[in-house]
Amino acid sequence: MTKKEKELISIPITVNVPYRFAAGKYMTKFLMELKNNGKILAIKCPKCGRVQLPPRVVCAQCHVKNDEWVELSHEGTLVAFTIMYLPLTDPTTGKPHKPPFVYGSVRLDGATSVLDHLVNIEPTMDKVWVGMRCKVVLRPQKDRIGDLSDIRCLEPLPGQKKPRG
Amino acid sequence: MSDRVAIVGIAQSKFSARRPEVNYAEMGYEVIEQVLNNTGLEMQKDIDNSISCSHDIWDGQTISDIGITDVIGGHLRNEEKVAMDGTNMVLYGAIGILSGEFECSLLMAHTKMSQTNRNIVNNDAFDPIYTRILGFDYTSAAALQAKRYMYKYGITQEQCAKVVSKNLANARLNPSAHNMGEYSVGDVLSSPVVASPIHELEIAPDTDGAVAMILASEKKAKEITDNPVWILGFSNCYDAHYLGDRDLADYMSLQKAAQKAYNMAGIKNPRREIDVVELCDAFSYQELLWSEGLGLCGQGEGGRLLDSGATALKGKIPVNPSGGLLSGVPENVAGLNRAAEAYLQVKGEAGEHQVGNVRIAVAQGHSGFCGQHHCVLVLGKE
Amino acid sequence: MKRNVAIIGGGQTYHAARRHDVNQVEMTNEAIRRALDDAQMRIDEIDAVLVSNMEFFEGTHMTDCWMADGSGAYGKPGIKITTGGTVGATTVCVGAHYVASGLFDNVLCVAFEKQEEGDTGAILSSVAHPLWGRSLAGAAVGYFAMMGSSYMAAWGAKEEHSAMVAVKARQNARKNKYAHLKLDITIEDALNSRMLAWPIRMLDMCPASNGACAMILADEKTAKDRCKKPVWIRAMETAHNEQFELDWRDVKTKRPIFSKVCASRIYKKLGVSDPAKYFDVFEVYEPATWAELVWYEDLGLCKPGEGFKLIEKGMTNIDGPIPVNPSGGVLSTNCIGASAMLRVWEAALQIRGDAGGHQVPKDVNRALTTAYGGTNWAVMTALSKTLD
Repeated sequence: MTKKEKELISIPITVNVPYRFAAGKYMTKFLMELKNNGKILAIKCPKCGRVQLPPRVVCAQCHVKNDEWVELSHEGTLVAFTIMYLPLTDPTTGKPHKPPFVYGSVRLDGATSVLDHLVNIEPTMDKVWVGMRCKVVLRPQKDRIGDLSDIRCLEPLPGQKKPRG
Repeated sequence: MSDRVAIVGIAQSKFSARRPEVNYAEMGYEVIEQVLNNTGLEMQKDIDNSISCSHDIWDGQTISDIGITDVIGGHLRNEEKVAMDGTNMVLYGAIGILSGEFECSLLMAHTKMSQTNRNIVNNDAFDPIYTRILGFDYTSAAALQAKRYMYKYGITQEQCAKVVSKNLANARLNPSAHNMGEYSVGDVLSSPVVASPIHELEIAPDTDGAVAMILASEKKAKEITDNPVWILGFSNCYDAHYLGDRDLADYMSLQKAAQKAYNMAGIKNPRREIDVVELCDAFSYQELLWSEGLGLCGQGEGGRLLDSGATALKGKIPVNPSGGLLSGVPENVAGLNRAAEAYLQVKGEAGEHQVGNVRIAVAQGHSGFCGQHHCVLVLGKE
Repeated sequence: MKRNVAIIGGGQTYHAARRHDVNQVEMTNEAIRRALDDAQMRIDEIDAVLVSNMEFFEGTHMTDCWMADGSGAYGKPGIKITTGGTVGATTVCVGAHYVASGLFDNVLCVAFEKQEEGDTGAILSSVAHPLWGRSLAGAAVGYFAMMGSSYMAAWGAKEEHSAMVAVKARQNARKNKYAHLKLDITIEDALNSRMLAWPIRMLDMCPASNGACAMILADEKTAKDRCKKPVWIRAMETAHNEQFELDWRDVKTKRPIFSKVCASRIYKKLGVSDPAKYFDVFEVYEPATWAELVWYEDLGLCKPGEGFKLIEKGMTNIDGPIPVNPSGGVLSTNCIGASAMLRVWEAALQIRGDAGGHQVPKDVNRALTTAYGGTNWAVMTALSKTLD
């Protein structure tokens, strides 16, 4: 079987489809505020009041149109994390991010949703925990380009210690 | 439980070459919001399940119904995606209701052709080993089919071009269309040749847009509206994949689908009983070829049928009074748009492109190159 | 449903990481031939062919059209369905609708994936919204890593519990001749396998498999006339979840969650109060070990936070009182488009008593299967041996 398999051929094809994605009305506002004013905006459902990130046209839970913008704090709480040993793409460089690194979900103060991002911290279990306070690090204003990579990473707020137990 | 399924409402976006201001979820929500408003139905209370139609490769998103889950009411509810032409979602939606599982289903088809490159997307529909590597796309494959059809039955370039003149003139009466105008046969034939014998004006243009529709069981339909449009018959069928396995001037899968749909609807003489047809003229010659497959005329007579004026807006059996795909309808959405236009004709609500009193309307859609898979729907008043 | 629907036959390929001896169509055809043989049916007796896979995975658009010769769809009605990882089960639902509608008597459902022909990691990252998190998405691994860490923090489970699931799956797979990863591993092996994203290790994740599954569904009359052991589809339920709020990893979430909502609806349809007693076997879609533990809880096989105790006590072993994934599950075989259909087919085999080496050692009258896909979507299917 192995020998026979060597006689069989497979043809390498790279399927390269170019796209140009419309950000749409909601994400355009989000990205422009992020780029121009360093603000993180979320959208609030008029019915259930969930403050949703990324901003989107419809609250899935209530099926009503979202229309109230809310500015979020740049600080929040880590609700889940992992130490990643796979080389994921670093959005700021487009190149693989050298593992290991911490990848976390943070709930910015005032938001219902979480934001998943790289956490700029030493990748050991002693240095990172659920409940850790973090802040968002943006690109310097002059370098911002108007996509999600303008958020470079999350960073722990200084002066915290991992709780015991 | 119900033995009949009705269309109780539709909404269509204004089609345009590019909708850079909305993403596909927002575009889809435009028609969903509209169809719910039009019918007075509520997502949570009235809609049992949702069906979407598009393609991951067009959308540029793996499992692209993720992108419309929120707007189509998929959260904690049932949503399924049909990845073929939109006529098939009407067929499947009807089957779902006939099965007794659902009473009222929301359908939404969306595609933004402007966000990618149709030649590359189309090329990926060819098998990766034997034909893709030749660089085929739907247009080059269609050119082979057109040539074969013209050779076999003596269909002329002028007849193909005349489809364009007719449909783009009809499109001027259709508020959803974006490609329209007064074109003579000479104008069409003097547009650049893209793949001989197909000229630029003979190809349905890239289009962004969405269509939504609500289907209901007989019981539910009667609660919603006094004059629902009934889905009287439907069927679909596959032909072979490899172009070399088919006589491209033949339309076995369309004929089979049409025959079954007509049987189901009790149509014995399609030429007499059908009042209007909306079909997928992705390329001009396809209107003639599909007219034959639908039994509107005999084999090889598609050109003569057109010449006779029968398929004109006020003809005996108008074809594509909306302007068809040539007037600008996105791929995938095309079939749901055919069904929606057929619905409007039966309702007598097609406005300026209404063909007169319509008792029976037929909608056709195809999937794959050269119409490998066809779906036929028969809609009617009673 | 207006008519009863039975599974009257099915088949699958031998699943493997490499299948250079067949193309996608030929591979799928193997499963279809086995299904037809199993049902003792000829392709010309099939009324419609329904095809499913993940079209982006192998970079081929309109795979159903390419399949038309190998799937037997040539000259027949049929459609293509895509709903991500759930699609194999969705296709069974669609097939059941076809038969129940009264318009079709025999329907062939086909699901496949040839994962080696595409880059699954990259493709799964593009599940994310193109402008939100796509460049960061850690394929499925990052997501299940967060689920694992949240599970341990919430309930006090240990990495050993995840390893127990990993071992059970691969030891069961050794009894299943069609399974892909038949590994004779121990808990130590699982705990020592390469770390991918803490706490997920190599052996905590599903493999990338090539394979296909096909099933033939029929109406009650055909089933009784033609099939010695029809398996009845008693209820189906689908619940998707919104695009951006992926709460399943947050095991203590208070919000209604797709898995529990879907389970409670299907239990209500069937009048089930104690699922662990009502069903004799479960086939769940667990892309990662932790997901299996969460399924135990969300399906109500135990109380919230006690899933890890079920595996610890061996309750869900092949010879345990609540066998889960005797086939080896998705952790042993993951040909994505087919994985959800394999759950249904494996459950049907258990009811028929035809599962062979991995047949559970007790009477099986009822089975429940789950599918998982998209951004936390579930499709559940309940099967039974008899119609009462």
